[in-house]
Amino acid sequence: MQQPNANDPKRANKIVRYKAQPAGGPGDDPTPDYMNLLGMIFSMCGLMMKLKWCAWVAVYCSFISFANSRTTDDTKQMLSSFMLSISAVVMSYLQNPQPMQPPW
Amino acid sequence: AFVEDNDFAEFEEFEDEEDGVVNDESDDDVQEPVKQPVENEEMQEFDDEQEEEEDEDPLSDDEFEHLHDEEEFENFDREKDTPKGKSPDKLPDLQMAKVPLHLRTSWDSFYLEMLMIAGLTVYFLNFLAGKNKNCKLATAWLSAHKELLETQFSIVGDDGVAKEVTSGVLMKESENVYTLWCSGRTCVEGMLVELKLLKRQDLINLLLRIFKPASDQVIVKVDLDDGKMDNFVFCVAQKRSAAKLHKDMNDLSQFTERKSSEKFDMPVSYQLLSEVGEATSAVLDKKVCQMLTKHEGVIEYIHISDQFSGPKVQEDTQPTKMPDTKACLMFCFTIPGKGKTRASDMEDLKPLLQLVFYCVDKVSRLQLSREARMKAEKNRQKAEEMFLKAAHTQRQELAQQRREERKRAEKERLMAEEDPDRARKLEDRENRRESKKKQPKMKMMKIKAM
Repeated sequence: MQQPNANDPKRANKIVRYKAQPAGGPGDDPTPDYMNLLGMIFSMCGLMMKLKWCAWVAVYCSFISFANSRTTDDTKQMLSSFMLSISAVVMSYLQNPQPMQPPW
Repeated sequence: AFVEDNDFAEFEEFEDEEDGVVNDESDDDVQEPVKQPVENEEMQEFDDEQEEEEDEDPLSDDEFEHLHDEEEFENFDREKDTPKGKSPDKLPDLQMAKVPLHLRTSWDSFYLEMLMIAGLTVYFLNFLAGKNKNCKLATAWLSAHKELLETQFSIVGDDGVAKEVTSGVLMKESENVYTLWCSGRTCVEGMLVELKLLKRQDLINLLLRIFKPASDQVIVKVDLDDGKMDNFVFCVAQKRSAAKLHKDMNDLSQFTERKSSEKFDMPVSYQLLSEVGEATSAVLDKKVCQMLTKHEGVIEYIHISDQFSGPKVQEDTQPTKMPDTKACLMFCFTIPGKGKTRASDMEDLKPLLQLVFYCVDKVSRLQLSREARMKAEKNRQKAEEMFLKAAHTQRQELAQQRREERKRAEKERLMAEEDPDRARKLEDRENRRESKKKQPKMKMMKIKAM
């Protein structure tokens, strides 16, 4: 490294490695976790009460939580919420293949 | 078919035939069920004609000749009317079975499902487009600022994972947040640049932003070496975020108060939070004020503090340990354009990064006067005491609770005792102890009584 002359601020000897912030900091936004939870709830009630629109909303919720997920989130949870919501949709159509009745 | 014995029998048959013919005409527009009687009538006529021919043949053919002459009958169509030799049993009545609606599996009744799938595809396409746009913006920012960063830091873009130091790595926290760590500079431990872009990949957020416009942000946090900075806390922020910062940030809420900014020629839209007046005027020199006026909307806040410990954490119990404080400078720049940023806009953010380095050097060279330093020291001690008092009261409450707990346990043990005499003995001892505690009051009572 060249000699640190007067106006060269670089100091190769003072390098500090990057320490990742703890995950639960106040800064990160809660939407992926909320959407994940909402997706789980909707797919549960879609499966239990055979409501098709619940299952579809569950698919949307897990997709939104996938879109907003952080890279530090583990993909297993993402995958499980997707599997659950898609299985809710498939199950509700296997039981009665009629078109979906909107909730209103 | 029976033959009537009155004279007009033949004429009645005439009328039958005409009726039959008349019926033929009307049967086209009438519903099907009406058709059957006409066919039976025709069958009847057919039989009658055969009977007539058998018993009256010898009489004369010519009398009924006109019957076989087609012109006699108006719009009488041979093919349509006479049954073409089909035997009656082959004509099954085609009864349309009444099928209930939901058993019909036609695809167009699934329109809601198609709507849902269309929504999902739209969401996915927008996800891809938003992701690419954010990635493009982040790399554009990095390429615009890379050579400036390399003149200032010995490493730019280390992700802290690999054993030896990597360089040029822009870490992706999420689809819209990218971070860059630079280190190796005088009086600076490290600098973390966080690109907080808009959630372009989320369609819902996209729609939300139509009502509540927002824009991308670049947050630069410079960690100073210990002791490199004099003790003072200072913040200049846009009015809209000043109140929030003042309330949320630990150090701002403890040490600074709002100050008027007329003294400095800077835009009115900025709010000043300062602890030591001397330090504030030192930081807000001509160059910084110029930058503030030039980039009025872009510079969201500049926060310089030696007691920085992050935002207040909502904890019900008073934290027993003082939050660890660090000297740092934080800058937040809002990229203009309300979200419609292009990669080329990143170029004009470069002067702001130069401002960051200018402030870092200025603050590390800044020497406060003695009384300013004394004042700052006093503030810190006061804050410490307040904190210790709060922690002390909390400890006392805990002790109180423990004492009550012990007493309740004692009473329960007393109640739970089976054999009466031991219980009585325990009770006596308890009463004696209580009475000894209350002893002095008792005496006074007696004296007054005499």
